Amino acid sequence: MKLWWLWRKREKELEKEIQHHLQMAASERKERGASFGEAQAEARREFGNVGLVKAVTRDTWGWRWLADLCDDARFGARMLLKNPGFTIVAILSLALGIGATTAVFSVIYGVLVNPYPYANSDRMVHLTGRDAHGNRRFPNLTAPQFEQLRQASCVESSAAMTSWQLTTTEGDLPENVQAVYLTSNSFVHFGVPTLLGRGLLPSDAPEGQDPENVAVLGYQFWQRHYGGDPDIVGKKIQLVHESYEIVGVVRPRFTWGDGEVYLPLKLSADPARTYFPMIRLKPGITRAAANAEFQSLVEQFASETPTHFPEHFRVSIEGLNDHFVADIGGTLYLLLAAVALLLLIGCGNVSILLLARGTARQHELAVRSAIGAESSRILRQLLTEALMLSFTGAVVGVALANSLVKLIVNWLPQFSFPHEAAIDINLPVLLFSVGLALLTGIVFGISPALQSARPDLAQVMQANTRKTTTGVHGRRTHSVLIAGQIALTLLLLAAAGVAMRAFVRMMRVNLGYDPHNTMAVGIPVHDNSYTTWEARRVYFHQLREKAGEMPDVVSAGISTNATPPNNGWEQRFEISGKPMAEQQLARINLISPEYFTVLRIPLLQGRIWDENEMMHGAKLVLINQTMAHQYFPNGEALGSQMRVPELKDEPPFQLAVAGSDSWFEVIGIVADALDDGLQDHIKPALYMPYTISMPQYTQILVRTRVPPLTILRAVREQIHSVDPDQQAARNVRDLDAWITTQPEWEQGHLVASLFAGFAILALALAATGLYSVISYAVGQRTGEFGIRMALGASPKHVLLIVFRSAVVSVTGGVLAGVFLTVALDRVLARWIQGSSLDALILAGVILLLVATSGLSCFIPARRASSVDPTVALRYG
Amino acid sequence: MNQRYRNRIELLQGTLDLLILQTLLWGAQHGYGVSQAIRANSGDLLQVDAGSLYPALHRLEKQKWICADWKISENKQEVKVYRLTAAGRKQLMRERSRWEQISDAIGGVLNPGKKESAS
Repeated sequence: MKLWWLWRKREKELEKEIQHHLQMAASERKERGASFGEAQAEARREFGNVGLVKAVTRDTWGWRWLADLCDDARFGARMLLKNPGFTIVAILSLALGIGATTAVFSVIYGVLVNPYPYANSDRMVHLTGRDAHGNRRFPNLTAPQFEQLRQASCVESSAAMTSWQLTTTEGDLPENVQAVYLTSNSFVHFGVPTLLGRGLLPSDAPEGQDPENVAVLGYQFWQRHYGGDPDIVGKKIQLVHESYEIVGVVRPRFTWGDGEVYLPLKLSADPARTYFPMIRLKPGITRAAANAEFQSLVEQFASETPTHFPEHFRVSIEGLNDHFVADIGGTLYLLLAAVALLLLIGCGNVSILLLARGTARQHELAVRSAIGAESSRILRQLLTEALMLSFTGAVVGVALANSLVKLIVNWLPQFSFPHEAAIDINLPVLLFSVGLALLTGIVFGISPALQSARPDLAQVMQANTRKTTTGVHGRRTHSVLIAGQIALTLLLLAAAGVAMRAFVRMMRVNLGYDPHNTMAVGIPVHDNSYTTWEARRVYFHQLREKAGEMPDVVSAGISTNATPPNNGWEQRFEISGKPMAEQQLARINLISPEYFTVLRIPLLQGRIWDENEMMHGAKLVLINQTMAHQYFPNGEALGSQMRVPELKDEPPFQLAVAGSDSWFEVIGIVADALDDGLQDHIKPALYMPYTISMPQYTQILVRTRVPPLTILRAVREQIHSVDPDQQAARNVRDLDAWITTQPEWEQGHLVASLFAGFAILALALAATGLYSVISYAVGQRTGEFGIRMALGASPKHVLLIVFRSAVVSVTGGVLAGVFLTVALDRVLARWIQGSSLDALILAGVILLLVATSGLSCFIPARRASSVDPTVALRYG
Repeated sequence: MNQRYRNRIELLQGTLDLLILQTLLWGAQHGYGVSQAIRANSGDLLQVDAGSLYPALHRLEKQKWICADWKISENKQEVKVYRLTAAGRKQLMRERSRWEQISDAIGGVLNPGKKESAS
């Protein structure tokens, strides 16, 4: 803007200077006796062409490129407006590619590049490791252990947390609140200022006293529960009948532990109380060095409190994002590859359009060149036009990206990305799209521009002004572009086919249970309530009976940890009289007998324990078919003895019946139901009475006559009638919907839907490209077709000629695409679960492509064959 | 399009710059004044056309050898007046000695006898 103003000023000054010159020259002549008119004319004649003098003077200012750019842009805009069809197709082709790429990039940026708002989050780690069986474990520490860890030489800062579900006790029904208890140094540790008020301070948990009743609210909870009340600081919140003063609200991206309220934590010396450590390493400490130091610490801790650590535990710390990168990183990069392909196809399309138009513009360019335009100048003009297209495409694309981002975020597997991530179109993402626009503009613009910038003057000028023949070279470029587009489209279609088939197979998998009209209502038990085995057993039993009384409930059961399709605690087990295998693991499910009725899992052999046995914690166990086949191949399962050594009493958290880790008798075999996710494999499972071991959490499983969620409130009221403080966990879903929250379902859904969408767009783009090339070629050859028909060629013959011109590029493209797809099959199979290419998909994809190509050729070909020879010859 | 002019500027460039700088040595002057002074001092032999003069003036200004001020003329008009800077003065000296060398050299080539007898 300032530059423009400066330019205007110098422009005006030059004008004044020249006018002064002319005036002086004229007045001198008048003094010598010339008439006014003569003097004026003479002065002008001597001066020469004013415009030209201005132009050459302006050149010395060194800003000519800018003025040229403005001219080019103005001219380009006129050209684009004059051909709205061309412009719209070109901009749409680019906008789809740029929009999709921008959207996927913004997800990658949010999830993988800049996921955390915490200070130096790259040095924050989780204390994790592997047990003897290679399972990932997060050991918790007692207070003295945590203090020792804090002093470790590789640790810069460390805080401790624990979390539990509380309830608000203000409304008619208690509402579940996820509370995260943080040591008072935590807000310094995270280094994120609060949105309102303050964070937790050391004075909130003074030495030797109970912590103050203060709470910092999570952003989401503040929005949901208080409607984002800006004057919330200083008000009170009631949690389980205790009043807390609200002292602050955290920022939206502070979602540590998905906390809804953050409360001060006072470390207790009780060795049964353990805490999750949060650690930031000192700068420059390698993972290996930290692992080594933590390993020796953990070995010492394990000798103090052996039950808190798995045997042969190997520490291997993880950065905050490591797990998510492993979970979803590959999928996101795969999507990026897909949208890059889409973008390339779009670029190919615009290249084709520009080439076709460039040929039509050859006459104009030849005239420019003939009157003195240098080829670099024409190149610049054509590139300016290309960049105008790509930048307009980018603007439309970013608008599209905005909605696509929302869609992808909705579809992202819920627990496969950090909830701190801010996924939206932000500055880095915008910079990325500007870069993309620049790059695409050059990629699709340079080759047509290079071809058009050097017109063969003599040939063009002599040829007919309306139609010029396309050189063999131009036609070859077209064929290569079309073939490339078709190859890339085939690759995308095949990938989409593979992903969709994998997803459909997952949806059709035999569940082994009936999820319709069932739901599991989570019951978090409050601290310091039902603290004896006797009391908790009765409490759970009462809850189940109350739910079972409801008229809309067919049957109700208890399922502490057994909501399929991914259920049970994975534990080592032993079979009496048999040697233990290396990896002898089973899913331990704690349930009441109604579980099998509610889920309609049939009993195949033996019997199920009865209610009396269950209430006494009888050591009876059922196994699934997989267990029976794997460990009792001779059918000797019934009557054999099994034990789970880890099943121990850990008051006040885990209340187990006496002798819970002793031998159980197998009394029945039930049919297999999915217990390890939606992929086909089923893990060996044990079903035990829930009374054997009761944590501070259980679930009521109900089968209903009506859609289950419609009676959720009634169920909550029933629970309320047993214990007025008892809430239900939030986000209750029926078991049909529960399936769709499984990570593999969400991932499959995301990949299959997006790939299908991108592949359809790619197909549409490729079809448009082919259609443009053929229509253009047909237009160029109208005269030739006229002659052929005048000489007796039939319309069918002309139709064939047109088709033949496309056959080479389409066939070449299909072959290249098949080659690419087969070559990349391994890469695909790695990231799209349970997928491998098969002939059926490949054949289907080829058929689809050939049919679409045929259709894109057919329309212009029909036009060519229906041309009237006389018209064609006269005007072609 | 402006190829014709540009060639001529290049042809005259060194000399024209020299002439302009020399003219401004006597005092500040506007564009028309510069062209008239060159014409008068050369006995009407050298006529500088506007298409060479103004680009040259603007180029010299950009190189900081001359600078421009806006003044009000007798008939109350704003006039752009150029004057020599210290850097311009130095440049003038350099250009003059270079011109004298060229002139001597060309003179020597055109009159070989004279040169020999002189030495």
